[in-house]
Amino acid sequence: RKRPRRRQREALSFALEAPEEEGGGGGGEAAAANTSGMQRVKVYRLTDGGKWDDRGTGHVNIDFLEDSKELGLTVLDEEDNETLLMHNITSEDIYRKQEDTIISWRDPEVATELALSFQEAAGCSYIWDNICDIQRNIQFNNLGVGPRPTSVSLEASRVLHSNDESFRSVNGELRELPPVELSNLPLILKTILEGGITDQMRVAELITQDREFFPKLLDIFRICEDLENLDDLHMIFKLVRGIILLNSSSIFDKIFSDEFILDIIGALEYDPDVPKVQKHRAFLKDHVVFKEAIPIKNVSVVSKIHQTYRIGYLKDVILPRVLDDGTLASLNTMIHSNNAAVISLLKDDSCFIQELFARMRLSNISMESKRELVLFLHEFCTLSKSLPLVQQLRLFRDLSGEGVFDIISDVLQSQDRKIVSAGTDVLILFLNQDPNLLRSYIVQQEGNSLLGLLVKGMVTDFGEAMHCQFLEILRILMDSFTMSGAHRDAVIEIFYEKHLDYLVDVIASSCPPRNISRASNSAGNTETEVNRTKPEILLNVCELLCFCIVHHPYKIKCHFLINNAIEKILALTRRREKFLVVAAVRFMRTTISRNDDFLIRHVVKMNLFKPIIDAFVENGDRYNMLQSGVLELLEYIRKEGLKQLIIYANESFWDQLMKFEHFGSIQAFRLKYQQYLESAETKLSANVPDIRKKAEERGLEKEEEDYFNEDSDEEDSVRRTKHAQKQDGGAKLTNGSEADDVSSRPKSGGLVDYADDDDEDFNPPPKEPDRPEEDDEPLTIAKLKRKLMNSKVDGKQSDGEFHKRQKIETRITSVKIGASTNLVSKRMDDLEKQEPRSPASSSSGSEANGVFGEHSVHSEEHQRSADNTEASRQAGGDCVNAMGNLSTEKSVNTTNTNDSEPYSVR
Amino acid sequence: MGTSDLDRQIEQLKRCEPLTEAEVKALCLKAMEILVEESNVQRVDAPVTICGDIHGQFYDMKELFKVGGDCPKTNYLFLGDFVDRGFYSVETFLLLLALKVRYPDRITLIRGNHESRQITQVYGFYDECLRKYGSVNVWRYCTDIFDYLSLSALIENKIFSVHGGLSPNITTLDQIRVIDRKQEVPHDGAMCDLLWSDPEDAVDGWGLSPRGAGFLFGGNVVSSFNHTNNIDYICRAHQLVMEGFKWMFNNKIVTVWSAPNYCYRCGNVAAILELDENLNKQFRVFEAAPHESRGVPAKRPAPDYFL
Repeated sequence: RKRPRRRQREALSFALEAPEEEGGGGGGEAAAANTSGMQRVKVYRLTDGGKWDDRGTGHVNIDFLEDSKELGLTVLDEEDNETLLMHNITSEDIYRKQEDTIISWRDPEVATELALSFQEAAGCSYIWDNICDIQRNIQFNNLGVGPRPTSVSLEASRVLHSNDESFRSVNGELRELPPVELSNLPLILKTILEGGITDQMRVAELITQDREFFPKLLDIFRICEDLENLDDLHMIFKLVRGIILLNSSSIFDKIFSDEFILDIIGALEYDPDVPKVQKHRAFLKDHVVFKEAIPIKNVSVVSKIHQTYRIGYLKDVILPRVLDDGTLASLNTMIHSNNAAVISLLKDDSCFIQELFARMRLSNISMESKRELVLFLHEFCTLSKSLPLVQQLRLFRDLSGEGVFDIISDVLQSQDRKIVSAGTDVLILFLNQDPNLLRSYIVQQEGNSLLGLLVKGMVTDFGEAMHCQFLEILRILMDSFTMSGAHRDAVIEIFYEKHLDYLVDVIASSCPPRNISRASNSAGNTETEVNRTKPEILLNVCELLCFCIVHHPYKIKCHFLINNAIEKILALTRRREKFLVVAAVRFMRTTISRNDDFLIRHVVKMNLFKPIIDAFVENGDRYNMLQSGVLELLEYIRKEGLKQLIIYANESFWDQLMKFEHFGSIQAFRLKYQQYLESAETKLSANVPDIRKKAEERGLEKEEEDYFNEDSDEEDSVRRTKHAQKQDGGAKLTNGSEADDVSSRPKSGGLVDYADDDDEDFNPPPKEPDRPEEDDEPLTIAKLKRKLMNSKVDGKQSDGEFHKRQKIETRITSVKIGASTNLVSKRMDDLEKQEPRSPASSSSGSEANGVFGEHSVHSEEHQRSADNTEASRQAGGDCVNAMGNLSTEKSVNTTNTNDSEPYSVR
Repeated sequence: MGTSDLDRQIEQLKRCEPLTEAEVKALCLKAMEILVEESNVQRVDAPVTICGDIHGQFYDMKELFKVGGDCPKTNYLFLGDFVDRGFYSVETFLLLLALKVRYPDRITLIRGNHESRQITQVYGFYDECLRKYGSVNVWRYCTDIFDYLSLSALIENKIFSVHGGLSPNITTLDQIRVIDRKQEVPHDGAMCDLLWSDPEDAVDGWGLSPRGAGFLFGGNVVSSFNHTNNIDYICRAHQLVMEGFKWMFNNKIVTVWSAPNYCYRCGNVAAILELDENLNKQFRVFEAAPHESRGVPAKRPAPDYFL
């Protein structure tokens, strides 16, 4: 055995010699002119000593040998045309192709190894293909089947081969398949499995053209099955599998037709690699149930439904291990187009949908029938994704018009959890297509009860077996980052008016009262009460509230300020589950991230850091997510320079925090506070140049924040100066404070420019998304700020600089008074609000906007996905698979994924 | 969920049979309670065996357990990238998660860049969940748990382990502890860098990463980090190594790769790093599982259909 291996290794070295020979140049000009480089070879013969002997260089041909009627290899010397090699091609399996340029074999006549080393790989491939073809023809002749060359064909072949410029062979193309007989199965299998790509296409073509191929083959299969002839059944299994792997759509149309598909699947039960015969047909006939929830009169539709399921079964259960990518894609395409055809035919039947909904509305329908109808609707909507996008949209609008949301509203109130889950899935499908369809329904619905059902469903325990997508639905409905029109705002309005308090109270009522510590949670009644709602539900509610903070900052701010909701939500810090405490910290972090002055003041006034710090202290020195969350919160406050919070946290909690002074974050936090104390003592009229500097560096929104921060500074100053003084009345107090500020400001003294804090770690948060103009407040502030900016820009250098500075200060004061008055007025308006504002635009206008917005959304999603793709492409190092197109569902999931984050990840 | 239930689920997963959706949900909830108590720099005691990327190659992970020994007898630290690319991400991740719930002190899982909602939708885990369960709920449960996985590990205060590498925003371990890790892997910043960065010989200091996320970092960065934090070396994964492991920068950092024949075609061997109680190192190299064990698994057929 070792000898052949060594010889093979020797043969491999030829690959290096062939190019050298080419570099050395050919022989005489006459020889070069008459021959092609493809035919140029070196002939080697293995000597007894185990070395390859160079027998010369020449040109190879396949032709009839002089003393024989058989085809053979002939090599003629390239210089003197002397015969270097004559070899009669045999049907025995003795030939080897190596390294793309070498053909070797053990020649029975000379009883040693011979090899041809080709100058060009193409020539080697050509000769190799011819050898294979000739071998097949010899086998056909020996078996008494296949093409039998006539004398005319032989003569034609001779003429063709004598033309050195042409290498086409009449015998190269397979003419027909062996007859489908039991004794021929091995030959048919060999034909299917061992041909090259061109031969495979030819085989597929021949099988398709032969109308008797599959009837005969499956007849043989049934006979063998009756006789329990396992060896031949295994052969037929391989044959059918090989035919499928030819990946021919015309063959698929044949074998997957009703006439053949079950027998094809039957043949695939006899996998020789599996010890026990599979029972695929029994499973498909006895265990799988086609549930005709509503009669389908079109027989071709029913046939397609069955075919689709069986192809899917074959793809996923029978052959998943052997299908190559191409065949798998073809099967998926068939399934996809079948689904599209089925849905299209059903939806175009005008009576079908009406009948479906009429049945679902019947009050005397049985629970079992109702369940099947709902699951049918769910599958119908799911498979509609196979339709082109325009048809999907039209179908979903038709379903809306027929009252699908009334049906879903009933479904969501069912006691059958499985169909509630299906109902939420259907809603998700609609939202992924056109969220305005559902929003429009909610807005127009009497009492808006569907939105209430969604909110209530979110806090309902459906058990561990069911996952209902209420949180996902609510997030899509209220996503303010998409340009989806007026209905979205109306839905948000209804949610805040009717449902937000309910969600906050779900959290509050599920947490221990403040005066009971966690250690004494073991009290029976208390334990029972506080655990009424499951922790994972509370986690979802908290996540939705964080979502609302990010998406509707103004609405939720007013709500929080009025109802003290933040304190209620922070009651989660008293829960035993640590992931709920972490969620509470994240909620506070999200609130602080808005950098809203009113919210920040509210946090300070209501001492809302206390539950956070208490949880942090109680956690002790344990390194965990709670500790990281609180430390990160403090780091954020410090880096953002939220002065009020820094002062509040240090003055209120330093006795507790100092125990953790070994943390760098705590030290930095304390240092920041001390810096503020020092700077406060020497504070002069430094705000004007600061404002100008910041205005140059940042955008308008940042100016807005600075404006409020400055106002806050004044407030702090007033509080410290007039600590004993107490006054009531917001508007009056504001005016009075401002007036006092002006009078108390020093009128002399030089301008002091403080250096910026050297904060290498400072990393400004990503710019906030454009806020929706839900009310006039931001617009008013923007106008006032713009006026302020204009006054700055108009400033001139002159000796009257001091006077100019005084004028600017006066304007600032006026602006503040005006803005504050406006804000107070706005707050009063909010308090007095009783009814939600109706959408200003018409329904058709909204739909038009919706369509436009949807395209924008898809474009944005695609871009985002593309960006992710680009980043991901390198993730695997050396092995990056080609990127397929993301489905719409995945793109939407990307949106949901981003929405689930409290912070922007852009 | 009791211990006997967990043991049954572990045995089931070891046979590469997926759990029911309800079992996955309950397992993830239990794992959440355990992982929330872990630090961003999780302490690990020696002896410990460190494993690199697995990428859903379940049967190759079984080879890993043959070489390294079963958990809990062997204490394990896995450096992330449990999912995507291979055919068995679901069974791979759920088995590791079940072992974590059953033996929380004998196996540590940290997050890789593939433990991400965005990445798993592109590289296979999402599609696999959809194919095996018929819905994406299991993908949701698992990606929620991804947010709770720790970001790095510190072995006996001497060996720092992370999936990708270092960050210009991180010079001390305390700075890692301050990260609020419950979020989708961001596109930049310290948390992103820890999961995406790579060491590079040709880089002096920091360089732009061709991956589009994270940084390339050079030997001086590693030396400085190791010195500042008083650690001996960094152990990371994230990059395919044909020999299974690779030292760089005068043995200041080592890459451990544990997916043999990566993507079922790279032909590489894989390795795990065994540290004894005195932190003596031994790399155990292993090859892919025998051919019969691989291939696309059969899907559980739907019991009924309407259309």
